[in-house]
Amino acid sequence: MDGEAISQVEVAPRPGPDLPGPFGVGRYARKLQEEMRRRARVLLIGEVTGVGRSKVQAYFELRDGEGAVPCAIWLDDLEKAGLPAGGLRDGAEVVVAGGPDYYPGGGQASPSFSFRATHVRLAGEGDLLARLEALRKQLKAEGLFELQKQLARPLLPKTIGVVTAESGAARRDLLAGLERRGWRGTVVWAFAPVQDRHAAPAIAAAIQGLAAQPQVEAIVVTRGGGSLADLWAFCDETLCRTVAMLRVPVVSAVGHERDSTLIDDVAAVACSTPTHAAEAAVPLDCLAARGSLGRGVASLRRAAEGAIPARTPHLVALARGPARALRREQLALNQKTREIRAASERGIAERLGFQRRLASVVLERARRRAAGPELERRREALRQAAVALRAHEPERTLERGYALVEGADGEPVTSSADAVAAARVKLRFADGRVAATIDSEPPAADAEASERDSR
Amino acid sequence: MSANEREQSTRAEFDSYEVAVERLEQIIDRLDSGQAGLRETLDLCGEGRELVTYCAAELDAVGEGLKELKLDELAAKLDAGAV
Repeated sequence: MDGEAISQVEVAPRPGPDLPGPFGVGRYARKLQEEMRRRARVLLIGEVTGVGRSKVQAYFELRDGEGAVPCAIWLDDLEKAGLPAGGLRDGAEVVVAGGPDYYPGGGQASPSFSFRATHVRLAGEGDLLARLEALRKQLKAEGLFELQKQLARPLLPKTIGVVTAESGAARRDLLAGLERRGWRGTVVWAFAPVQDRHAAPAIAAAIQGLAAQPQVEAIVVTRGGGSLADLWAFCDETLCRTVAMLRVPVVSAVGHERDSTLIDDVAAVACSTPTHAAEAAVPLDCLAARGSLGRGVASLRRAAEGAIPARTPHLVALARGPARALRREQLALNQKTREIRAASERGIAERLGFQRRLASVVLERARRRAAGPELERRREALRQAAVALRAHEPERTLERGYALVEGADGEPVTSSADAVAAARVKLRFADGRVAATIDSEPPAADAEASERDSR
Repeated sequence: MSANEREQSTRAEFDSYEVAVERLEQIIDRLDSGQAGLRETLDLCGEGRELVTYCAAELDAVGEGLKELKLDELAAKLDAGAV
């Protein structure tokens, strides 16, 4: 039985996966150290936290939003780095050079992993910008820049929250900006440090605290200008993620115009100064709005008061409409009537004129026909009358040899007695007069005979 | 519709200054166009007056004097149920 039991122990399969070993752990630890030290040497950038020192080394953690690495640097190397006094302190942004290392420990000493730094320097603007750019790319890719911009910003918030330093120009400038807007609502201050390594978490907490107040309609985060290192808290990844996810619009005004922090990218609105931030937080210019509301009131009053009077002429016009239409029809009708009458009169007149012309032509012809012989006869009679008349003219008689006796006064002397009485007479012949003297009393018979002979 | 119901519905319509002022501008544009009939004009004037009253109250609320509070004071008041 015993022998059987022993053989059972010897042949029992080893539990667990079928892997090489087991090896002695100390030997393995040294192998691990060798492998770590063979890894590539690199530069790391991050924030220093938990600085501690032994007699020969300084320890700290280097971390950012995504993770951390424990670091160690020999005091000799730290001295050679020439950092300013207190340079390696919690919150400092540093760049370290080195590679991973493993301390295998010993019989009593504990093992540990660390990044063995051989050089260290404070992060410069360039390092920070490079890190900022990487963060910016990442947050943008996640769509975090758009979330705040999609929030509706109230035109006229009654309460705004402000995160800033308790003492500083930013606070005063913001109040001046609000005053200039004519806005005198409620400001809830959430003061926070704005520059050291506690700043970012404190700012994030302040923003969250304000957002938790239901009456806070917009939040302003502001501080004055400074170097990128001074403003670094506002590039903190955790803070920026907090802002991006907030349901209350955040207006950022960090640094001056040329400064661009990550919070500017995630905020609903980024402003260059606290004064502009006041205008973005209260988009309505209350002074102008009061004026325009006054004008609105005037417009409404005008419309309301003018509603009836403005329509009166129209109503009157409408009332007159039928009569006017009737009159228009009447006029049109009259016109037509006149036209028709004129047309018919013109027709009649034309016909009459034609008939008259025709009649006159006919009559003239008839008249001429009738008047022809009669006229001839009358002409002949007239000619004969003229001949007869000429025969009776004294001149014609004188031409035939007669003479006319005229008195001194030129009157004809028609008797012998008158001739004797006149004594001196004129004898008028056809070709002129001659004077004559009557020399005796006429013998009645002789006178008559001589008168007959002389004819 | 009772006066109370009417007031509630009006309030629901004017849930913000911007909505109220936008509607007011529409109303004034419509009135200025001279195209609204008499009934519409009178209705619009009535609605406009309510909007003006609301907007004026909103402006008055931020016109009396700046109030400054600290977040922790406000939070303490909230905790005490004072606000």
